[in-house]
Amino acid sequence: MHFIKKMKLGLLYLTILTVSLGINKHVLADTESNSQIDLTPCYIENLPDRLLCGSIKQPLSYETNEGEIEIHFAVIPAIKKSHPTEAILGFAGGPGQSAVELAAIFNRNLRYARENRDILLVDQRGTGKSLKLQCQSDDLVTLFAFNDALIDMNTLATEDTQRCKSEIKVDLSHFTTPVAAKDFEAVRKALGYTGLHLYGVSYGTRIAQEYTRQFPDSVLTSTLDGVAPMQQGLSAIGHAIDMSLDALLKRCTTDVQCEKQYPKLSEQLVNLLDRLDRSPVTIDVRHPRTHQKTELVVTQLKFFSAIRMALYSHHTRALIPLTISEALAGNYSPLVGLLSSSDMVDSMAMGMHSAIVCGEDWPFLTATSREKDMQSYFGKLMIESLDISCPIWQVKPVDSRFYQPLNTTTPTLLLSGGVDPATPPEWAEMAMVNMKNATHLIAPSATHGVVSQTCAAKLVGQFIDKKSVQELDVSCLEKDNRKQFFMNLNGTVSTQKTKISSVELGGDL
Amino acid sequence: MKLLTVLFKKEVLDAGRDKRSVMAGLYYAIGSPIIMCVLFSIMLKQFASPDELKITIKNADAAPALVQYLESKEIIHSTDDDVKAITLEISADYQDKMREGRSAQVTIIADKSDDKLRKSITELERAIMRYNSEVASLRLLTRGIDPTVMQAVNVQVHDQATPESKGGMFLGIATLSIVLTLFYAAMNLAIDTSAGERERNSLALLLSHPLSSMQVVLAKSAAIAAFSMLGLAIILVVSKFAYALVPWQQLGFSVNIGFDFMLLCMVIGLPIALMSASLQVFVSFMAKSFKEAQTYVTMVLFVPMGLSMVTTYDIATEYVQWLPIAAQQHAMIEFIKGNALPWPQLFISTLVTLALFGLFSWLSSRMLKSEKVVFGL
Repeated sequence: MHFIKKMKLGLLYLTILTVSLGINKHVLADTESNSQIDLTPCYIENLPDRLLCGSIKQPLSYETNEGEIEIHFAVIPAIKKSHPTEAILGFAGGPGQSAVELAAIFNRNLRYARENRDILLVDQRGTGKSLKLQCQSDDLVTLFAFNDALIDMNTLATEDTQRCKSEIKVDLSHFTTPVAAKDFEAVRKALGYTGLHLYGVSYGTRIAQEYTRQFPDSVLTSTLDGVAPMQQGLSAIGHAIDMSLDALLKRCTTDVQCEKQYPKLSEQLVNLLDRLDRSPVTIDVRHPRTHQKTELVVTQLKFFSAIRMALYSHHTRALIPLTISEALAGNYSPLVGLLSSSDMVDSMAMGMHSAIVCGEDWPFLTATSREKDMQSYFGKLMIESLDISCPIWQVKPVDSRFYQPLNTTTPTLLLSGGVDPATPPEWAEMAMVNMKNATHLIAPSATHGVVSQTCAAKLVGQFIDKKSVQELDVSCLEKDNRKQFFMNLNGTVSTQKTKISSVELGGDL
Repeated sequence: MKLLTVLFKKEVLDAGRDKRSVMAGLYYAIGSPIIMCVLFSIMLKQFASPDELKITIKNADAAPALVQYLESKEIIHSTDDDVKAITLEISADYQDKMREGRSAQVTIIADKSDDKLRKSITELERAIMRYNSEVASLRLLTRGIDPTVMQAVNVQVHDQATPESKGGMFLGIATLSIVLTLFYAAMNLAIDTSAGERERNSLALLLSHPLSSMQVVLAKSAAIAAFSMLGLAIILVVSKFAYALVPWQQLGFSVNIGFDFMLLCMVIGLPIALMSASLQVFVSFMAKSFKEAQTYVTMVLFVPMGLSMVTTYDIATEYVQWLPIAAQQHAMIEFIKGNALPWPQLFISTLVTLALFGLFSWLSSRMLKSEKVVFGL
């Protein structure tokens, strides 16, 4: 019965990367000419190419002598080593995801850039093979049966955090972004690269900015995809979720067929959430994989969280009106479908995640920002959860300079999705206030992670080659890649509008 | 030996005088890599930015989601002149079938025997198949089933290839042109120095000196081989620079002609050059006239070309791999791919090549003892 922990902590995830794996047939050379350390051939799931893996030892703490931590990394060798002294450094999101484990996605997103340069992926300290800080998590059956409304959240969250802390046994203060940035620099030096092109997604944009601040001379260009500004805490994500959901609901209202099939969808959602809040529904459902009978307690938190996660991908966005309408009618199958991958968060390193949010986001909360973020459902949930867990973790807050917007002349490309439920375009505007050489591109119909959804992969390749956004043809970002809404369990119907409407894009983007 | 050197010098000098013949051979060495690079570059350009596939979609209104999906895969409905002769007809009851979860019919109308269309038809079929699995996944999701149940087996591939070895087919063509240089670069010279010399009536004069006919034949072969090797050196240098200009990396592999590869080609090319020279001399002497020699030599060269092609297109059976030329070319490809050299095959085939060189030289020298041959009677 640890669902509360999973849900509460799970809600803090800034990102779930869209997992669209492309098999890339690129291959590699087997020797790394400019390395001073042992690299061994290795393979990562869903990427057939042979990579080179290695590790370096780094001090666990830069202040006290507390031993060492092994930082693991992988190099996806360039197809043609036109620039042997440069590499593209990919930063994963989460916080808590392993960059190396996501090699297939990085390889796909950076396929144009890889034609001439290596891709370097480093497991940030606390993730992947670099001392992954993880706590036990529950299986789907437990998650389904858990009734988060019945149990005193405060007590349970406290217990769970304490248990996780006793499992991890290491001071999380050594795992914040400013500390981790030094590991990336050490890996760069060990591999002999003279300059790096940064590519960060979601939380990865925060560490990319911090790395640029600490080691400006190592950075040739920086691509920030789904930007988290330094001067804003992650609890602001609540607003982004609301905006993304509003845009979707409005799109249904303006679509004749959707409006007809799902009239007053916003109202219906509010009603449903209210109803679930008052009295959670307990039903027998089939397990999404084993097909065995299992109990599902539908609570407001579970339902809303499923809708929230569905906002990340156009495929699942198309199912949201149907899910709401079916649930109101007593059919929770679409909800079960959307929840079927909710046990995937196992790959996230929750300890490392807590180090970041408790060391960087929680101390930064002010009365004003608290009040503002608490206005949204998920913002409130997140802040309440941090207030319980962070005092237990006792992560040393980062220096206040950390929250200054990055001041840099490095060529920087910022990418935002117009309906991003995590990092909306205005976050990127906020991040670039002191960037002297930055360009912000918005793909109006994209969600979180623009490069994997649009033609931006090519643009990033060209940007890295030219170190400038001049001459880039960015018109392809306008392409509408949304999916049509499902009108019943089987699919779409004919008269839906396919043109992107200004309503969905929101007034002030 | 000294005599042989003098004779060799005479032959080289003689051959060098005929600048046109020399250049004709060398044009091949310079030109072929450049022409191939231009062709590959054009091909790569098409590959990098494939054109939209324009087809006719009938009753598109019935399946807007499918049409939108196809559009995202660059397959669009068009009424332009350059629209492909492919029609996708969406059935009238498409919507009803979709709604009921039955298979909704679409029909592809096209001529599958039309070579120009085949690729496009496959592209369309694949796109629709992918749409099928996308809709299927979402239909499972709406029924509360995790779509991963459709993927019973998760196949992971650990590809041992390198960017160098990936270029297999292109390397085959590159080495084909390199090997053929040894036969074509000095073809004119070979005919000129044998059949030509006979027609100019200087062969008899040469043979009237106190020399064995074997010495004459060896000197001629050596001179021809020297020019072949010059051609080989040129094609290697030109290839090195020309291939570096082609953006192979867009296809996911790289082609590097390094100095070690060039050295290897020169070493394993030398026996082939000698064999090729002796073969061409032999065939030229067999012919009655210069023109006849040209015809015969061209015909005989189909044999090495065939062996080389067999290797290039990888139809070499186990036995063919041991034959001269095929084995040497195979060794070149393996080397450039970064694999181990097939030493036994290379060793045997080189021995056979040298044996053939000996055989053809001996046959030529025997022929030169016959007046019929010397005077072309």
